[in-house]
Amino acid sequence: MKMRFATHAFLWSFIPFALLLAGSFWVIQQRVQTTVRGGLRSSLREAHMSMARLRKENELQNSRFLQIVAENPALKAGLQLLLTERKSGAAQRTVEDQLREIAETLRFDFLLISNSDGLPLACIMRVDDQLVALDIHRLTPPQQGFFTLGGSTYQIASFPIDTNSENIGVLSIGERFDLSELSTPTILAQNGKILRSSVPNASEADLEAALGRCGNQAECETRIAGETYLTLAADSIDFGDGYTLRSLQSVDSVSGPVQGVLRKVFLFASLGALLAAAALSFFSSRSIVRPIGAVVSSLRESEQTGTLPSFQSNPETIQEIRELTESFKRAAGAVRESRENLQQAYEEFVGSLASSLDARDDYTAGHSRRVSEYSCVIAEEMNIGGRDLEIIRVGALLHDIGKIGVMDSVLRKPGRLTPEEQVLVQQHPSIGRRILEGVRGFQVYLSIVELHHENWNGTGYPLNLCDVQVPLCARIVHVADAYDAMTSARPYRSALRHEDAMRELNRYAAVQFDPEVVQALIRAEQKGRMHKTAQEPAPSRRLLSVSRAPADSDTLEGQISERRLG
Amino acid sequence: MFGRLLTSALLILTAGAFLRASDIDGTIVVQHKLTKRKVTASADAYQRGASVPLGADMEMAQDPLAYERSHVVVYVEGDLPSKPVTAELSQQDRRFTPDLVVVPAGSTVSFPNMDPIFHNVFSLSKAKSFDLGNYSKGQTRMVVFPKPGIVFVDCHLHPNMSAVIVVTPNGWSAKADGTGRFKLPNLPPGTYTVVAWHKTAGFFRKTVRVTEAGSASVEFVIPLAEDGSFQEARK
Repeated sequence: MKMRFATHAFLWSFIPFALLLAGSFWVIQQRVQTTVRGGLRSSLREAHMSMARLRKENELQNSRFLQIVAENPALKAGLQLLLTERKSGAAQRTVEDQLREIAETLRFDFLLISNSDGLPLACIMRVDDQLVALDIHRLTPPQQGFFTLGGSTYQIASFPIDTNSENIGVLSIGERFDLSELSTPTILAQNGKILRSSVPNASEADLEAALGRCGNQAECETRIAGETYLTLAADSIDFGDGYTLRSLQSVDSVSGPVQGVLRKVFLFASLGALLAAAALSFFSSRSIVRPIGAVVSSLRESEQTGTLPSFQSNPETIQEIRELTESFKRAAGAVRESRENLQQAYEEFVGSLASSLDARDDYTAGHSRRVSEYSCVIAEEMNIGGRDLEIIRVGALLHDIGKIGVMDSVLRKPGRLTPEEQVLVQQHPSIGRRILEGVRGFQVYLSIVELHHENWNGTGYPLNLCDVQVPLCARIVHVADAYDAMTSARPYRSALRHEDAMRELNRYAAVQFDPEVVQALIRAEQKGRMHKTAQEPAPSRRLLSVSRAPADSDTLEGQISERRLG
Repeated sequence: MFGRLLTSALLILTAGAFLRASDIDGTIVVQHKLTKRKVTASADAYQRGASVPLGADMEMAQDPLAYERSHVVVYVEGDLPSKPVTAELSQQDRRFTPDLVVVPAGSTVSFPNMDPIFHNVFSLSKAKSFDLGNYSKGQTRMVVFPKPGIVFVDCHLHPNMSAVIVVTPNGWSAKADGTGRFKLPNLPPGTYTVVAWHKTAGFFRKTVRVTEAGSASVEFVIPLAEDGSFQEARK
């Protein structure tokens, strides 16, 4: 998969970071939750315990108070009456009435008096806020603990009734056991069966199952309807008869809000941390990649321009990047240097090639260099620059390279050439092409070398191309070549004056020459650019050209007919 | 004993023969509530299965001062002729009815039980102590009170029940009515000590001179102010 370095750097720093963060947040959250839960559980347990203790104390208090009730002399008298008058309904009513009065004043729900053998004698109970006497024969309430009757459960406590240190009976006092009065959710069960429950949202079956799991443990943690409860058995009193009383407290509902807050805090913290990690990763990847990107973009630029960039080493950037830039710079410098050397060697080579060609004949000494200069002047006049200008410059230097393959006897023949000799001379563009074809990097000059003798009207050689079929560079070199030929002396004629040469060029514009190129030359000449270079020829050659001036055709036409233009 | 009886008879005779008798008209002024409210179960408390609403003593609740006034006993001290009577102090609705009985010494009081439950009437008072034991509805017990004095009557089974029997030395005794008025009629002329008694306030004594001319009047303010002066009556 292709991936940008920035993305790569970002992902490799962000993903492990994010995973690490998320993982550690999760672990911390779990840990904190466990701790909070543990703390809450222990505080719950303590609250539970202290409540149980309080209840125990209350019961103690209560028992003292109830003992006083059992010391009621009227009740004692009533009991004695009842004991002596067992069959008397009036006696029973008397005692029931006494019990009712006690219940009324002291707000008891159940009162029973039995003889010293535990046989019930009289009993009253509160039913729908009425105190009613009960049929004692069907009752077998315990002396202590819970007692369920008529759908109500009573908590019973019993106290002996003594006279003269002789026990004559027992008073059992019961209060309806109402779970709703207890502040904590409570379960009252008998032999594992739920009798009463004030646990919200829990079915009896759930509770029974939960209690079953707790077994005989006094303190136990159990799950009811998906919630964790801490239950504590009220073991301070022996309820007897299989009754158990358990208070419950939902750990979840207590720890829920705290955990909710914690979760929220951790969510925000982890989101914040992840965002921060993303931002940090982004900036760090950017800080790594940006200098590299700068290097890469300048390399890309140099790829397009072909010139090696000179890097600016930024002192602020990272050491590695700076070193990278530096080494790039050094490498680029080395490459540039070698390339410049190569270029120089190449230029020298081309120059010496041209010079060696020119040196074969005194009359053509400096010709290639001058044609190159004139071509450049014309090309600049025609707004050609850059690489094209360079091609023209070098191409013009090499334009007569093919003359290497033309015999000296023909080439240096002072006089008119025979048609056979003319054919030989006219082969030089093709020869030049063949020579340069094999040289790598010289292909760009081929058109100049091959086509610089093609005429505008198609009468040139070797391919008889006309007007724009010939590349502009070749057309420019053609004009420059003609101009230099005319203004240079030949063994068979002297050099034309500058004005005459210009006239000739004008004459043959659009015949032999591209008129636009000629116009450009004229413009350059008017600016004085042609003069300057044209007057450079060596005196020796001028002397020669004067001394050897033949009665040659003064016209360009004549020259052209000779086909000896270089 | 015989001599005293003789003197008494003689006195009555002489009074009847020689003297025109006069009345003592009196007023009881009660300054404020004296008796604590008693909580007594109402009548239907004895039906099995019925509830026992807590009832207040209606008479006392309606007009506490009238109740206090009507519970003041006035009698005259002295060896005046006396004729024993028979009175009844029944137990009904777990209360003694009436709760205040005035009889001259030597009278007999019966204590019938009208309630469907047992009562055990007793007294530990010096004037007459007795314990009638447990007895149920329809039964009664008799007690003779030979000595003058205050007899507090209670029930063993029902501590809330209480009554007072005032055994007076002679026949001149009265209970004030709700407005505090009382009358001791037909007293021979002479100087008498009139005693007013209230259960919680105690005894109040006043000397009254009875002449042939007409009725004497006396006023008791109960209780006395702290400095011994009579306080102005107020409700």
